[in-house]
Amino acid sequence: MKKTIIVETEKCLGCKTCELVCAVQHSNTKNLELAVFEQPTPVPRRKVEYINSVIISDGCHHCEEALCVSACMSAAMYKDVDGTTQHNEEKCVGCNMCIMVCPFGVIKRKGNVVVKCDLCKGRENGPACVESCPTKALKVSMQLQQIS
Amino acid sequence: MKRYVIIGTSAAGVSAAEVIRKLDKTAKIIMVSDENYPVYSRCLLSYYLANDIPEEKLKYRDEKFFDQNSIDPVLGKKVVKIEPQKKVVLLEDGSKIEYDTLLIATGARAKLENIPGKEKYGVFGLRTISDAKQINTRLNKTKTAVMLGGGLIGLKAAYAVHKRGTEVVVVVKSPHILSQIMDSEPAEIVQKHISQKGIQIQTNLAAVEILGSNQEVEGVKLENNTVIQCELIIVGKGVQPNIELVKDTEVKTNYGIVVNEYLQTSVDNIYAAGDVAESNDLISGNLTINALWPNAVIQGKIAGYNMVLGNTKKYDGTLAMNSVEFFGLPVITCGVTKQKDETIEVLVTKNENKPVYKKFFIKNGVLIGFVLIGDVEQAGVYNSLVRKKVDITKIKESLVSEKFDFAKILPLVNANKEKFFEPEYCEIV
Amino acid sequence: MVTETKTKDVATNILKQISEERMIDTIWERYLQQLPQCGFGLLGLCCKNCNFGPCRIDPFGEGAKTGICGADADVISARNLLRHTAAGSACHSDHGRELAHTLLLVSEGKTEGYKIADKEKLYRVAKEFGVQIDNKPENVIAKELAIKMLEEFGKQEGELLFCRTRPPEKQQKIWTENKILPRGIDREVVEAMARTHMGVDNDYKNLILHTMKTALADGWGGSMIATEVTDILFRTPRPVRAKANLGVLKEDYVNIVVHGHVPILSEMIVEASLDKELVNLAKQKGAKGINIAGICCTANEILVRRGIPVAGNMLQQELAVATGVVEVMVVDLQCIMPALKELAKCYHTKFISTHPKGKFEGFEYIEFDESRGLSIAKEIVKIAIENFSNRKKELVKTVSEEQSLIAGFTTEYVYEMLGGKYRATYRPLNDAIRDGRIRGVAGLVGCNNPKLLSGYSHFIIAKELIKHDVLVVETGCAAIECAKYGLLTPEAAFQYAGKGLQEVCKAVGIPPVLHLGSCVDNSRILTACCAMVAEGGIGNSLDELPVAGAAFEWYSEKAIAIGWYFVASGLLVVFGTPFHVSGSKNVIKFCTEEVEKITGGKWVFEPDPIKAAHIMIEHINKKRQLLKLKPMMYE
Repeated sequence: MKKTIIVETEKCLGCKTCELVCAVQHSNTKNLELAVFEQPTPVPRRKVEYINSVIISDGCHHCEEALCVSACMSAAMYKDVDGTTQHNEEKCVGCNMCIMVCPFGVIKRKGNVVVKCDLCKGRENGPACVESCPTKALKVSMQLQQIS
Repeated sequence: MKRYVIIGTSAAGVSAAEVIRKLDKTAKIIMVSDENYPVYSRCLLSYYLANDIPEEKLKYRDEKFFDQNSIDPVLGKKVVKIEPQKKVVLLEDGSKIEYDTLLIATGARAKLENIPGKEKYGVFGLRTISDAKQINTRLNKTKTAVMLGGGLIGLKAAYAVHKRGTEVVVVVKSPHILSQIMDSEPAEIVQKHISQKGIQIQTNLAAVEILGSNQEVEGVKLENNTVIQCELIIVGKGVQPNIELVKDTEVKTNYGIVVNEYLQTSVDNIYAAGDVAESNDLISGNLTINALWPNAVIQGKIAGYNMVLGNTKKYDGTLAMNSVEFFGLPVITCGVTKQKDETIEVLVTKNENKPVYKKFFIKNGVLIGFVLIGDVEQAGVYNSLVRKKVDITKIKESLVSEKFDFAKILPLVNANKEKFFEPEYCEIV
Repeated sequence: MVTETKTKDVATNILKQISEERMIDTIWERYLQQLPQCGFGLLGLCCKNCNFGPCRIDPFGEGAKTGICGADADVISARNLLRHTAAGSACHSDHGRELAHTLLLVSEGKTEGYKIADKEKLYRVAKEFGVQIDNKPENVIAKELAIKMLEEFGKQEGELLFCRTRPPEKQQKIWTENKILPRGIDREVVEAMARTHMGVDNDYKNLILHTMKTALADGWGGSMIATEVTDILFRTPRPVRAKANLGVLKEDYVNIVVHGHVPILSEMIVEASLDKELVNLAKQKGAKGINIAGICCTANEILVRRGIPVAGNMLQQELAVATGVVEVMVVDLQCIMPALKELAKCYHTKFISTHPKGKFEGFEYIEFDESRGLSIAKEIVKIAIENFSNRKKELVKTVSEEQSLIAGFTTEYVYEMLGGKYRATYRPLNDAIRDGRIRGVAGLVGCNNPKLLSGYSHFIIAKELIKHDVLVVETGCAAIECAKYGLLTPEAAFQYAGKGLQEVCKAVGIPPVLHLGSCVDNSRILTACCAMVAEGGIGNSLDELPVAGAAFEWYSEKAIAIGWYFVASGLLVVFGTPFHVSGSKNVIKFCTEEVEKITGGKWVFEPDPIKAAHIMIEHINKKRQLLKLKPMMYE
């Protein structure tokens, strides 16, 4: 199975709620009003992008052939048992190799390490962005994965 | 039960071993390395030297790696020769290991120049953990260190040694640093940044002699006859592939070991991957070694597949890429990064105050390379355009825009579905 | 969504580029940084009026259909619309109040530098307000008028005076029947705020009716008072030659830019700049003299009365400073971007705010006070002169772009212009329309917006209209924009206008596009329309006139109020981008269709400027047909 987030561009209104809740979810306080004052500022792992009138909320696609995992020289980036691509900030040295190869440009720097979507691992109700999307433009998808 | 022998325990060797084990649960896998250290990441040595990470973090796989994958490690023993006819490898202690299928992932070693005095104690490459440890020891006696070479290795070493509180002089033969991966304009931005942080850089100069009595380094003499007093010299003049073990065999070599698109050498049951393997360049199509971690991992993976399943998985070619960060200034380069002739169109956007610098190289409407300094977050998206070789004419303007991101290439993705075939591209609907 | 922000104006592009090189963001850069803009906001589907919320309505289907209180898309977007309109109406009306108050102070002799400049108008408006003229001294009449005008703001019951004295009967009847004839200016704004509180007005149609009432309180109230008093205090404009665009800022002069809306300040600055001592002081400092230039609507006020050059419209406020030759930018109220404070860090320019209602962090503050008006103005001019020597040579980048223009056409002047001073009449205009020389009249007003063409749309629309023999009247930043492209010159008629309009322009010697003044002077368009009805022959009420309007590149809440008072007065109004209600099909339908059955006016939202022009032309054609006017002479 491959777990990832599907984006329906036609439903995305560019409200950036996903960015906001993502940053809060990955903050220390997990509370919007407090998170905005945290230092370092919490970093969202989704990004609302656009071309012409198409708006996309994009984040890690947890690629089957994850180039970031191959590129990582400190083994911080890895494929988890559930097929998701996960990142261990403890091991990260901030070499940017993953950023160099990520075809979606969704790996971000936070201080000396990189951060990316972890599909809100361990969160009871699944990814915060999916839960909070007011138009349900984001959905968690489980796809049968090809043998890789 | 098939016997797989892998020579080399670094990026290519490890990824091949993991794939082989995944595909064949019962095979015997033997990994041989001349280093007596388990699986570690060479690329992290400069971080280790700088004290940015402890030795523990050098480990690319934990101690249980060999056990967990049921691999028989043969460590601290160098392979001196392979005998393809007999399907054996000979170790330096005279012992032999038989194989059914062999992967040569011996990597490369630091190129030491032929400078008089290079044998003196205090001259090192920075390629192995033992190099790093020796440099570490030597640093206690070092007031000034000289880096020979202004490439990535030289500069990363310079950064590390500087961080340890040692005076550093980088001696560069070319007119500017990083001359292998960029032209003068971007290089000067990096050079300025590094110099401001206190690393001295002397360009257009070659070292002619390493000085010192008692077989210990005391200085280096340059071609303009000046002498820099120093106790430590790190040579960062590129690497050369370790191909001696196939000398006088049927395994075809050029600069490295020549492989086809399946990572197979001229001998059917021998594959090669990583810094030792010379494969087709993704852009030029010519035989090239782009010695770098991501290439080695992917090559190891593909070689592993093909070693088990026969030649089923193709390698689309090696791509030159580099990512470094000097004192908070990130730099990423990819593909062709110099304007070799007029058929290559160059786009530049820069903001010297930040600094941000982006340079793109386009040939026949296709992005063939780029240099990014300062703002590198979207490097992978550019990288995918290089790999997919699509016509980017339509989005040329947004290419140089500060606002560039994946969305901007969406029209290209939709128009070239056969090239953007990965399932992830269908996750945006 | 526009993602390309190149403008057509050369001067703008030069200084925009310079700003980029200097790492100073301009409005265009900040616009791009906002993209994509939040769709809920754009659709008007976000409500944060209460602390159940904020709530958002999903326009697609799977998400919430109502807010926590139960308000649906119709109620939420209509409430938002009313609040926007109330803010716009409040802004114009407060401007009018300032002027009425100044008139009072002048009449009491409590000001320095001000006088009654247009007695004829004072008497005329005073009579309209029921002030007994008799043999009373001028200041007594002025005082009684000022008090009566100020009462218009605070009136609790009754009706706004201008709504009864000026519009045709039919409009008055429509307003009375639908209970949208405003009682007092402030009252309607306050009621708008009350109605939009949770649990008060929950009928979108009822909310929109009050939207119109609130807007009418602006057009026939606050704005109209502002225009009339400005004329009384600083005289009614007459055609005047001047120049526009950033090229009016000259390197060898002490440059003072006045920016904002209320002429109480800018008139005094101009007066002070004429002071011989100050001019000599400027010369001593090595300047050739003192150059006053305007930005935004305060520019229009001093342009139409004094021919003071216009440095630019509201989008160019940052760029004026980027020339590096502005010694002082002195501001009062409205449309002054907070971004200016960033420029203070780079340029020598001193930014001075003057009004207790409009303070800016990072600006100097010199409180303006009518009792010392001229003295304070002189003080500010002196600061500019002293600052001349602080210019940073390396940042000086003047441009050569400046365009000649004629401005200062008013409702009153049109009488004279067409009929001559002794037989002033609208007859020739009405005849020209009736006979098919002129198709009709279009008002192009409002702002410039980087979301559209940064102002260029005004030029496209104006050109298309005059090509089809529509006489164009303009105010505000739209007028400045067309000035930059040379449309405010008599010669433009020969270059762009259709044959019929060309003949009229030639006979009278006017440009095909007439500059009427600032954005509060949109009230002049209302009164001109009333004059056309009064003259007869082209419609017996405002909604019958062959007339249309557009605020194509609107950005401001004031523009929403303006648009609504025209729609409520029976006219067609085109916006390039809709106000933020598109999430409600019912509200959109009401604004663009159903309202026509009530007032005769309606909204059209059309992002293509050429199409917008033709929508206006078609509307005018339809009205001509209904009036059975002659076919167009040259078609």
